[in-house]
Amino acid sequence: MFVIIVGGGTTGTQLALLLINQGHKIHIIEQRPEVLARLHRELPTEAIYEGSFIDPALLEQAGIQEANVVAATTTGDAENLAICFLARTRYKVKRTIARINDPRNAWLFDEKFHVDVALNNAEIMARLIEEEMSMGDMMMLLKLRRGEYSLVEEKIPIGARALGIAIKDLPLPENCVIAAIIRHGKIIVPRGVTILQEGDEVLAVTDSTGARKLADLFTPD
Amino acid sequence: MNIVIVGCGRVGAELAFRLYQRGNRVSVIDHAPSAFDNLNPDFRGHLVEGEALNRDVLMRAGIEYAAGFAAVTNSDPLNAVVANLVRNVYKIPNVVARNYDPRWRSLYEDFEIQVVSSSSWGAQRIEEMLYYPEIRCVYSAGNGEVEIYEFSIPPIWEGRRFSELVPGPECRPVAITRAGRATLPTEDHTLEPGDIAVVSGTLNGIRKLRQRLSLEES
Repeated sequence: MFVIIVGGGTTGTQLALLLINQGHKIHIIEQRPEVLARLHRELPTEAIYEGSFIDPALLEQAGIQEANVVAATTTGDAENLAICFLARTRYKVKRTIARINDPRNAWLFDEKFHVDVALNNAEIMARLIEEEMSMGDMMMLLKLRRGEYSLVEEKIPIGARALGIAIKDLPLPENCVIAAIIRHGKIIVPRGVTILQEGDEVLAVTDSTGARKLADLFTPD
Repeated sequence: MNIVIVGCGRVGAELAFRLYQRGNRVSVIDHAPSAFDNLNPDFRGHLVEGEALNRDVLMRAGIEYAAGFAAVTNSDPLNAVVANLVRNVYKIPNVVARNYDPRWRSLYEDFEIQVVSSSSWGAQRIEEMLYYPEIRCVYSAGNGEVEIYEFSIPPIWEGRRFSELVPGPECRPVAITRAGRATLPTEDHTLEPGDIAVVSGTLNGIRKLRQRLSLEES
């Protein structure tokens, strides 16, 4: 895949490194001299294009006509919107991704300016913090289906309500299944008759309601 | 008429005051409260501090009831984006943006927005005045691609035809004023010294006109 990243701040750079490691071709555009100096230390020179974010000539030089994806990750919301708009209307880029800097501008990041995917750092952060607060010691390992379901991990503490009860007899929530148990460093595939012990690490696939009920089962009485 | 202006720099403040003087209700949006110091002390209008892309800020400025909108900040992406937004989301019929950096003029064409390139327009006027001080620009069409010029006929062109002086497709005769009375010039209109000629032309056309005037003089 060929991706053009506009904006070489931390978000753009991390994205570039990630994509390069996965074997994708990236070109990154940056206009700030102080950011460029750092960028040249972190990324291959041939991937870096120096100049204004909204310069059509530079976008063309970077190969925007051939790009599969354009990711606008500058610190300006107007710039990011203008870049996505140009990418689609002028260069027919199939997929556009934009970073939202000010969450109050989130309402603009849709088909109005041809943004296919909007990344709202502040909102992702807020959601994570909220989950952290409501889930106690439960750890979110992986989000499935855009965050509707997730793979979670929790260590069974001393005195947990679920101790000594076979999994088939646990009042597990509906949209929740225990996928694996790690006991003394070894994976145990859970059966209905498996009984949870102190110190077990339980991996479960669940929706958010299920996660809360599960966390409840694993707390000491 | 209700008009919303985004950007209260020199252009925004001047525009706001002019519109206010003509009896319009004007709202001015700027993210920096100090920008409102640019406004004439006699200006009476609605000042809204905030980011123009924020829906609440636009609402506070009364965007829903606006008949006209101008984006005149010093950021071309912001002007283009906010102008496009108010036209498409709030269906404001009359939307104009200011092009700040002439290099990004084409951005507005992509967004299909009416644009005034104040800096390149100003530079072009000054350029013309440096080349042809005796030919005055009296009207600019579009962004100055075609303009109307006025100049007086020098003695050397006495008795010659207006159509001989005006150089072809890039420059056309518009009017001729003699003794305070203007007429539409005919093909064979004969010139007299002191006639005031009015022509329309491109910058290139005016350059040729100037050459004819000076060649004949030298």
